[in-house]
Amino acid sequence: MAAAAPRVGTEALQKGIAELYDESSGIWEDIWGDHMHHGFYDPDVQSSISDHRNAQIRMIEETLRFGGVSEDPVKRPMTIVDVGCGIGGSSRYLARKYGAKCQGITLSPVQAQRAHSLALDCGLADRVSFQVADALNQPFPDEQFDLVWSMESGEHMPDKTKFVSELARVAAPGASIIIVTWCHRDLSPGEDSLLPEEKDLLNKICDAYYLPTWCSTADYVNLLQSHSLQDIKTADWSEYVAPFWPAVIRSALTWKGLTSLLRSGWKTIKGALAMPWMIEGYQKNLIKFAIITCRKPELIG
Amino acid sequence: MRLLTHNMLSSNIKGVMNGFPLRLEVEKSVSKEVEFNSDFLRNMFPKIEWKALVDAARSMGYAELPEEAPESSMLESEEFLMKFHHALLELHLEEGALICPETGRRFPVNKGIPNMLLHEDEV
Repeated sequence: MAAAAPRVGTEALQKGIAELYDESSGIWEDIWGDHMHHGFYDPDVQSSISDHRNAQIRMIEETLRFGGVSEDPVKRPMTIVDVGCGIGGSSRYLARKYGAKCQGITLSPVQAQRAHSLALDCGLADRVSFQVADALNQPFPDEQFDLVWSMESGEHMPDKTKFVSELARVAAPGASIIIVTWCHRDLSPGEDSLLPEEKDLLNKICDAYYLPTWCSTADYVNLLQSHSLQDIKTADWSEYVAPFWPAVIRSALTWKGLTSLLRSGWKTIKGALAMPWMIEGYQKNLIKFAIITCRKPELIG
Repeated sequence: MRLLTHNMLSSNIKGVMNGFPLRLEVEKSVSKEVEFNSDFLRNMFPKIEWKALVDAARSMGYAELPEEAPESSMLESEEFLMKFHHALLELHLEEGALICPETGRRFPVNKGIPNMLLHEDEV
């Protein structure tokens, strides 16, 4: 894999991620609501903030459709894991949609508590639960879940091999595995690594968002293939998420956004300042908003 | 933490052969009423490790569940479903810990949320 080695030790990274989200989740939720992922937009459409929240819902629905997750009462998922669950937006949405049980894991105790409160508020706490846990060591026995969901958390994983291995392990036979994540462009044949200026840009983003390392969509495909997972599909949805970062920047520059940032903490502010680099990365076709889905083979016999 | 959640958690400390089920250490538990949904219970039943649920419920002070895993015909019995419902969804561990059955390692539970993070020497 052409990814750079992680730049900080694992416990320091976990602590950094937890603290970033402990610090910033409240502000995000206040302005953007309970989904902490990109919206899915028709290209070239101007959107207001409420449109953005709808776009975030649409991202979930488009993702499920791409991954071929069935709504059929017999085939729909009954047990779901949300890997890197944030404040539980996806968990609650999926549990409600499928009438399923969902478990969410996050490194951030603040997020886990908030996710739990939100689930209580909307009457889902009997079916949706949250734990502080590490996606690289998921606290579940093998083959527990019909749907394994990772919505924009793969970027934080220092060891993509272990990350994918755990996703595969906890997937039940016949389960869908869905990864939506930030990748760098696939390397061309003959390329060993990204160009130095590309690595520099990604490193700046890594520092701000506690991303340990980047890999390409092709790297994920190779990892999934190594677990004999089937129906592997990928797409580059960069054009469908293009309005998102400019919208986040605009929201940060409102009175509410600025005052919240000033009250937040340095990690959140640093994250906010890094947003133009994300836009630059997308514009240079270096950063890709990737979806990768597959299925664990059914049991035979 | 409900016992529905407990039934799906295990200790994956390096070298542990069987980290399920986790034992419960109960410091504070509560019972919270939850709307009864027989369809949900019937859908969940095949996925539940029965002995783990019985033992966990007992450590929370509830001993009404049958020891033996019931036949699926029991799923038609309202009386059974009510007990299953209560154990699975209404008993909460608010404060305490989950204990790895092999190593005795404590995973703390605070305000109902388990912390399952492993230390660097456990992965």
